[in-house]
Amino acid sequence: MSFWNEFFSKLYIGVLTTLQLLAVAIPSSIILGIFIGVLRVYGGKIEKTLANLYVHIFRGFPLLVTLMIMFFGLADIGIRLTPYWAAALAIIVCSSAYQSEYVRMSILSIDEGQSLAARSLGMKRSVEILYIILPQAFRIAFPGIGNEIIYMILYSSLAYIVGVNEIFSVAISVNSIWFKPTEVFLTTALIYLAMTTMASYGLKKLERKLWIPGFETDVKR
Amino acid sequence: MNLMTFSKYLPYIFEGSLWSLGLVLGGLGIGFAIGVTFSLVQVYGNPLLRRLISFYVWFFRGTPLIVQLFLFHWSIFPALGINSTALTTSITVLGLRSGAYQSQIFRGAIGSIEENQMLAARALGMSNWDAISSIILPQALRIAIPQISNEYSVILKDSAICFILGIMELMTRAKYAAIATGIALIPYLIAGLIYLVLTYIGTMFFNLIYLKKRIPDSVEG
Amino acid sequence: MVKDLYKRYGDKAVLRGVSFEVEKGKVKVIMGPSGTGKTTLLKCIDMLVKPDSGKIWLEDLELTDPRIDVSEARRKIGFVFQEFNLFHHLTAIKNVMIGLTKVKKLPRGEARAIAERSLLKVHIDRELWDKYPAQLSGGQKQRVAIARALAMEPMIMLYDEPTSALDPQLTREVLEVIKELAEDGMTSLIVTHEVGFASEVADEIMIMIDGRIVERGDPRSIIYDPRREETRKFFNKIMKIGDELR
Repeated sequence: MSFWNEFFSKLYIGVLTTLQLLAVAIPSSIILGIFIGVLRVYGGKIEKTLANLYVHIFRGFPLLVTLMIMFFGLADIGIRLTPYWAAALAIIVCSSAYQSEYVRMSILSIDEGQSLAARSLGMKRSVEILYIILPQAFRIAFPGIGNEIIYMILYSSLAYIVGVNEIFSVAISVNSIWFKPTEVFLTTALIYLAMTTMASYGLKKLERKLWIPGFETDVKR
Repeated sequence: MNLMTFSKYLPYIFEGSLWSLGLVLGGLGIGFAIGVTFSLVQVYGNPLLRRLISFYVWFFRGTPLIVQLFLFHWSIFPALGINSTALTTSITVLGLRSGAYQSQIFRGAIGSIEENQMLAARALGMSNWDAISSIILPQALRIAIPQISNEYSVILKDSAICFILGIMELMTRAKYAAIATGIALIPYLIAGLIYLVLTYIGTMFFNLIYLKKRIPDSVEG
Repeated sequence: MVKDLYKRYGDKAVLRGVSFEVEKGKVKVIMGPSGTGKTTLLKCIDMLVKPDSGKIWLEDLELTDPRIDVSEARRKIGFVFQEFNLFHHLTAIKNVMIGLTKVKKLPRGEARAIAERSLLKVHIDRELWDKYPAQLSGGQKQRVAIARALAMEPMIMLYDEPTSALDPQLTREVLEVIKELAEDGMTSLIVTHEVGFASEVADEIMIMIDGRIVERGDPRSIIYDPRREETRKFFNKIMKIGDELR
């Protein structure tokens, strides 16, 4: 088999694996991020403290450290995760910590009147959060969450380190056989570029679709 | 069981923080030089140069650091005839990458003060370059300090990825300690905590600079 | 009915023993200098702010009873805010519907029908129903907010300076709606600075100064023949401001 044939057929598997990883990591981290963000604003003292601790740790640890702990560290105490799940979990906890910060800031930026009006209609806290606060907070947090999605695409390449057969680990293994670093790593870079470019294009479109007159969603990075 | 032998490795891991900080300072410095230059070109330069810089930024923000490290170490530097060690590659790539992010930070900062200040400087009879270097830049740099502080904590965590090239920084040392003692959880946790502490120390340091340098009543609080 | 209400913020006593009653079908207006606890009083009645002591009844239900479900009670009280507080992410009609679907748990169709009726009642025409709050004028926003409260079929409507954030020409359309509702027999408690409106609509005007109701009576006697010096001063002052505006 020629170099390009082998490279591309392996890359195909690698891309699928990366997408599989992201298909789990992106939605889970968003949901978890919103949940933790809500806890940090509305939770009781204990919930708040725990949620803040979670955010401090997983924002403070490099993703790589979290990944090593998930895969090698947890095995020490009898929790053996597959490479795929160790990587997925590491990405989820790390990214949800960052996203919860966007969600928290967005909730805090919503004016008090929204909550007053919701309560004056007889809404319970849970209804108020779900139908009044979060739809607005999500829109405000959207650019930040979008950035996080891009980062997740980029940092999914670290899954190689625990042995997930994603794009970058395909590149490494093909390069170790053929030693054509220029072809291999340039192609790999282009694939990631294509993925991040398409993602940011899609996110822009989605942002426009979610846009509502009078909403300032133009939050900076 | 191996906890006693493990304590021997503590100073060994701690020493890694010097290497990590070295990577960070090198990367941040190179990134600063690139970031300032490129942001000025993006605001004031000719269209062709602006295009080139947009391409640069697009490339470095759209590909994973780990891919960039391999691409430069095994392909680009050799092709240019540069004999780069793991350390010089790591610092250079961290710097090139940070330059892409920092150029966007400074571009935003310049954009937020540009128009009126430039007019005022011109009205005083300053040349373009005088206005930029003595009016625009000093203000832009101050406004950007909080984001540079954020960039520091990003690059600190990214520096962990340089362990892939075998730099003797925190991550590599944690890994060796894990292999030697047979315990993975503790060395990685310690490494994680060191990153956390380094993040806080750095953030405090930038905060101090910010408080000292910030212009009273400046809008970006 | 409100009895002996007290509320302090820090060391500042905002309400210092307020008692009154709004009988069914009546309209009561509270007037007084700003910063004298009128908004706090309304918020206490809707239990948006907890009073320190005193009791509030909605007919037989004691709202201040710690055992009751406060959100259950709040839906029976309509609240209209000074700053409208429409939900930014919902269109006009959805603003009116959300309380019906999420609190009263009505099916969408029924909720929509009620919402349409409420909106027509406050003269918000069909072409505005699908507009977002940011696309409405202040007067339109406030009328949608009134429709939103009205749709819940409250036993009483509380208006907290409903026109003080509006231009004079937009004030009229909102006051007109409130007046129409009052004439239809909507029990109302209104905080306002609009003397002319108050005299037209009120069954009784209460003057609140420094957290106390200092004087009350029918509009004519209160406005033109107040017994107390501070009431006289207050009216002189706002009429003068009114004249300057004109």
